[in-house]
Amino acid sequence: MSRIIVITSGKGGVGKTTCTANLGMALAQQGRQVVLVDADFGLRNLDLLLGLENRIVYTAVEVIAGECRLEQALVRDKRESRLTLLPAAQNRTKDAINSDQMAQLIEKLAASGYDYIIIDCPAGIETGFKNAIAAAKEAIIVTTPEISAVRDADRVVGLLEASNIKKIKLIVNRLKPAMVEANDMMSVQDVQEILAIPLIGVIPDDECVIVSTNRGEPVVLSANSSLPKAAFANIVRRLEGEKVEFLELKEQEEGLFARLKRMFWK
Amino acid sequence: MNNEQSDEKQVKIENADREENAVASSISIQTKESAQKVEKSPEAQKGVESQKDRSGQIQEEDDLSGLESEKKKTESGEKVQETTAGERAAQSLRDRDGQVRLKTAGDHLLLMLPPEREFSGNWNELWQELQVRLKGGARFWQANSQVHLMARERLLDGRQLQAIADALSEVQLQLKRVETSRRQTAVAAATSGYSVEQISPHHHLVQAAGAEPLAEPLYMETTVRSGVEIRHQGNVVILGDINPGGKVISVGDILVWGRLRGVAHAGSGGNSDCVIMALQMEPTQLRIANYLARAPQQPPAQYYPEVAYATTEGIRIARATDFTKKPTDEQQREKS
Repeated sequence: MSRIIVITSGKGGVGKTTCTANLGMALAQQGRQVVLVDADFGLRNLDLLLGLENRIVYTAVEVIAGECRLEQALVRDKRESRLTLLPAAQNRTKDAINSDQMAQLIEKLAASGYDYIIIDCPAGIETGFKNAIAAAKEAIIVTTPEISAVRDADRVVGLLEASNIKKIKLIVNRLKPAMVEANDMMSVQDVQEILAIPLIGVIPDDECVIVSTNRGEPVVLSANSSLPKAAFANIVRRLEGEKVEFLELKEQEEGLFARLKRMFWK
Repeated sequence: MNNEQSDEKQVKIENADREENAVASSISIQTKESAQKVEKSPEAQKGVESQKDRSGQIQEEDDLSGLESEKKKTESGEKVQETTAGERAAQSLRDRDGQVRLKTAGDHLLLMLPPEREFSGNWNELWQELQVRLKGGARFWQANSQVHLMARERLLDGRQLQAIADALSEVQLQLKRVETSRRQTAVAAATSGYSVEQISPHHHLVQAAGAEPLAEPLYMETTVRSGVEIRHQGNVVILGDINPGGKVISVGDILVWGRLRGVAHAGSGGNSDCVIMALQMEPTQLRIANYLARAPQQPPAQYYPEVAYATTEGIRIARATDFTKKPTDEQQREKS
């Protein structure tokens, strides 16, 4: 039985696609067969983050239209063979398909024996969102600790519940522990208090994520250890049912000395 | 000729919209006066109110005073029966009166769908609302109760009926009977094997609020999330939080056994004796009848269960433990 998980947020720019790419890659590294589905028709990004753009021949729209077979559209990752991408069309809009077609597509993928089907949901709550959640059984909400993102996430949780998706987990992304400590940013507890859904991970804000995004290499692949990398690894373990302690994010702010040491040590 | 007619209708719609605004503006007028009063005599105010009230912390709203003020007309005369496309478009922007309701009637439950006239949303929105109601009300009914669907003049096809039946069975309820005034719905229901009662269409089901007796209390165990709006013709009890962006509108009282962070409107029919109770009162906005108040900019250091009630000076908040003693205080004052 494949687990079908949609990664969604409501608000744009909170890191849905980054989370999708990294979770998918980390799951594949753990030996799982993973397919990532880009449901952001017209504004696809997932292929860029994975560095697979130049390998795309067919997209999900062509599969749905019957112009090619599903296998033809699937792009295998160049580094991790257990990871596959089903790209979205860039030349169409979200109205090009409906939720029934999307559900059929996901069913086909589920029948191909993947352990995880992870759907990258577009921002918003319109057609694209409805398509993306149509076939999902579980959801991961990504939010940043900002009131606008949390408000949108709250709305999305309501919509997911109304669509009968009951397993909903929360990722708080781009947390700045120093700002939280100074009371300038919502804490994870504040976010949880409003959303009232179980937390599956906290990812600290880190420049290395931006670097890896631009390179098309998910941060979990990088050789250097970083907090985001560890955070994604922990989320994957929690997804698999393990109980893992949350990272102590204060460590990152250990001060000038440690940073200097790291610089020299390099 | 035709054009003129449709123009006329447009105007009518605009008027109707304005009427709804008028409710808001009448609030602002009342509270504006009271805000001035508060400014003039904050000390005296405290003398009148119970000492433990957070009266100083609630600020009256007067931002809305820019809205046009118009006397609220009775709605009955303005209701237009046929709907044109333009009207429907306008309607979809208006606030909705009708909501999905569940009601016990003897040994079975009534699932009442709002008439299309009042619920402008499409099937999807209706469906979402139904889900919210069913999920939040689970402890409100006995398992395996039978449900009679009151579809009224709403058009439902076999698939939609099936979806409703499935949603009901998920919370251990059985759809047994469909009441409708539409022939097609009746046929669809009969084909699916439900017993059908076809009623004659009548349009005066909903009268002006206030004339109607209060419905039985709505009891929901749920988090009212952003974008969810719960309206009820009676008292509302929410076991859970009302999140920012969530809204509860009740003709009667509102009791929130949790945090109230969204908007609560008690006594929406005009009864200013209604109260809003919450374990943790940190609302975006409180409304009682025609009064309106915002929470203070600075949140208090500690929260207690509190009760919001309306006085002639606007909305006041008292600690729940003190509130029950209030009427006697007033009586004493009257005596002296």
